[in-house]
Amino acid sequence: MKIFVLPLLIGFAAGILSAWGVGGGTLLLLCMTLFLGVDQRTAQGINLLYFLPTAGVSLLFHQKNGLLDKEILRRAIPWGTAGAIVCSLLATAADTAFLRKPFGLFLLCTGLLTLFQKQQDPLGEKRNARGK
Amino acid sequence: MKNSSKLALSGLAAGAVNGAFGGGGGMPLLLMLKNWCHADTKKAYASCVAVILPFCTVSAAVYAFRTELDWRAALPYLAGGFMGGLVGGKIFTRVPNVWLRRIFAAFLLYGGVRYLL
Repeated sequence: MKIFVLPLLIGFAAGILSAWGVGGGTLLLLCMTLFLGVDQRTAQGINLLYFLPTAGVSLLFHQKNGLLDKEILRRAIPWGTAGAIVCSLLATAADTAFLRKPFGLFLLCTGLLTLFQKQQDPLGEKRNARGK
Repeated sequence: MKNSSKLALSGLAAGAVNGAFGGGGGMPLLLMLKNWCHADTKKAYASCVAVILPFCTVSAAVYAFRTELDWRAALPYLAGGFMGGLVGGKIFTRVPNVWLRRIFAAFLLYGGVRYLL
């Protein structure tokens, strides 16, 4: 039962974070590899699958609230999809140990940027918008 | 640089990261949209999800073809994630989010160190 309950709880926490914005997937990935002993490649696959229903549900709300910027979607999706295909082909061809250090650096960079963000808090903004 | 080119480059970078690491593309995308492309914060957050979803879909397809995706192991995470998404939407207004962000950033830094060592 333990192998079911713990993943369920972690998925739950990551889902909450995903609903509030971004970062839920990374949280999930790190919990799997650092605490649950899931190997890197399996964790990546699970993480990708996990995002599909979670994002799908929240997109319905964003669409309804008119929060999707069509210009961003139109420009970013085609290029990014190409990049995603190429890099997932590379990642599945390479030894997973090869990507450990780049991933660590990536985490440090985004961690620092997230910590020192000076921008107005988007969740606070949304909270105000809801309170109106 | 034209804003349309910036958006395309941001998308490319996020897609590449997301494919290589099996996720995580949303964080750099959000930072680039907000700070470089000057997108409205709320819209940037929502649009991020919409942009990342197709990346995850194609990457998941590639991973499914080229590796053995562990569907049974994935199931509890998917179920938990789905419920978390619903609950997260409900309690959205009551969370001390500055601290949440700090804790999250600290966790990223911890993960970064663990991966580098």
